[in-house]
Amino acid sequence: MKRRAFIARNPAFNRLLSSVELVNHALIGTRGLAQTYTMSEISPVFPIESLPTPADAKYRDLVASHFGNYRLIVDGAVEQPAALSLAQLHSMRQISEITRHDCVDGWSAIAKWSGVRLADVLALARPRRDARYVVFYCMDTDERGTPYYESLDCHQANHPQVLLALRMNGVPIPNDYGAPVRLRVPTQLGYKSAKWIERAEVVGSFAHLYGGDGGYWEDQGYQWYAGI
Amino acid sequence: MSKIARANVFERKGHYLGPDTAVLRYYARGMNVCRAIYKYAVATRVSHWLWVLAFGALVSSGLQIFNAAPFLDAFDRRDQSHRVLSIDSPQDGVGTTTLFGHVFTTTTWLGWTPNGMGGYASRAFPSWITIPSFQDLADGRRWHFFFAWTALVAWLTWLISSAVKGNLRHILLAPSDIPKLWPMQAYYLHLRKAPPPYGLYNPLQKASYTAVLFGLAPLVVLTGLSLSPGIDTIAHPLTWILGGRQFARLWHFTGMILLVGFWLIHVFQVLTQGVINQLMSMITGWYRPEEYQTVPVEHR
Repeated sequence: MKRRAFIARNPAFNRLLSSVELVNHALIGTRGLAQTYTMSEISPVFPIESLPTPADAKYRDLVASHFGNYRLIVDGAVEQPAALSLAQLHSMRQISEITRHDCVDGWSAIAKWSGVRLADVLALARPRRDARYVVFYCMDTDERGTPYYESLDCHQANHPQVLLALRMNGVPIPNDYGAPVRLRVPTQLGYKSAKWIERAEVVGSFAHLYGGDGGYWEDQGYQWYAGI
Repeated sequence: MSKIARANVFERKGHYLGPDTAVLRYYARGMNVCRAIYKYAVATRVSHWLWVLAFGALVSSGLQIFNAAPFLDAFDRRDQSHRVLSIDSPQDGVGTTTLFGHVFTTTTWLGWTPNGMGGYASRAFPSWITIPSFQDLADGRRWHFFFAWTALVAWLTWLISSAVKGNLRHILLAPSDIPKLWPMQAYYLHLRKAPPPYGLYNPLQKASYTAVLFGLAPLVVLTGLSLSPGIDTIAHPLTWILGGRQFARLWHFTGMILLVGFWLIHVFQVLTQGVINQLMSMITGWYRPEEYQTVPVEHR
């Protein structure tokens, strides 16, 4: 067992194992639409397997204000940085979709998600030519204080089913499911659908951020391309 | 083997094993001149050993991945009424396996098992069968995807090479083999003195190799692919036919169980039917059939 652990931790061997991620991304990618479901197929219980719901003073104040003080910051490599209130987000075109959430652990659950297309929000901010990724900064942190974050490339970010979700199953997203705004990426595994988003930064590269791999779980060895 | 086996080999015209078409080699063994037959092409041997490697890695890393969600559901909606299998630890020190609602205590084997770090933990499959041994889904996934590609490339190499050389007919179960299946089984059960006449592989071998290489192998590949939300956006009908993502996970696991079953029988047969000869033939390609050990005078 020590021997297997040793092999599994060998950097060169790990690079070899990871080499197929590029192949998977190139071959599978994001080409079509995720399946949609009917109201009767919605899961009676939707599991929660994220980092804990934020409990710091900032989040408590947001909850106390019914998210009246909440602003979604959209900045970085954009012509027109924005700080959008919930009211502003609600005034934009609303999209509803009943899609499946596929956890990397293996389970699935179905819910109805409503909100604005990420593409519409990005269009407001007008990304510059050097924009390649959108990085999402979240309000939840792990027990060591490391914050959750995620990233999508421009192709994935402009997918018509990728939402900044404001409602879940017809009601405002409950706190434990990412209130007030969470990402929904039904074409990829659940860890891409970041909860409790407070900022979307458009960048040319995410290599300088945190662990450099483009996401909280990616920094711990999970694939950046989460379509498989 | 007796006269009949020799007759099978030498008197059937137009069959691969006939002296007119088989690739044979003579070698000396003591006072006898013996023959070996060239049974496995290079592509077959290379892909066989790649499969050995990939199969072990895929099963072990697959069980690691299973451990992250140690249950199988038959519905994407995720409600308990559609649960087929779950492996749990209801309390520390106790492991249970629930199959179709029947609960079995499986402590130390399933549910409450070695954790790979010197102790025991609430863990479906034990550390000695998973890659990596300790709980690490990210590593398990990396191994799984890499060796899935290894197995697929090996399968395609073998398939294309065998098809181009016209060797697939030796291994594919043909309609004419079906009436021979029972006589072959009867021979194995000592109900019949001699096997029915056959070529390079007997009818039961053909049936199992056909089922594994053209049934189970594509099944585990397709069910594995349909677990991917990315594939689901390209190939809706695939996931739909399988009954959804959770059903596909159930088929994927079932395919693995069947392949492990084949593997156990396969290894048992190799071990009991001249293990050295069998292993050497899969390394060098040259097989020394019993009936070839002493070459009859007229063929020297």
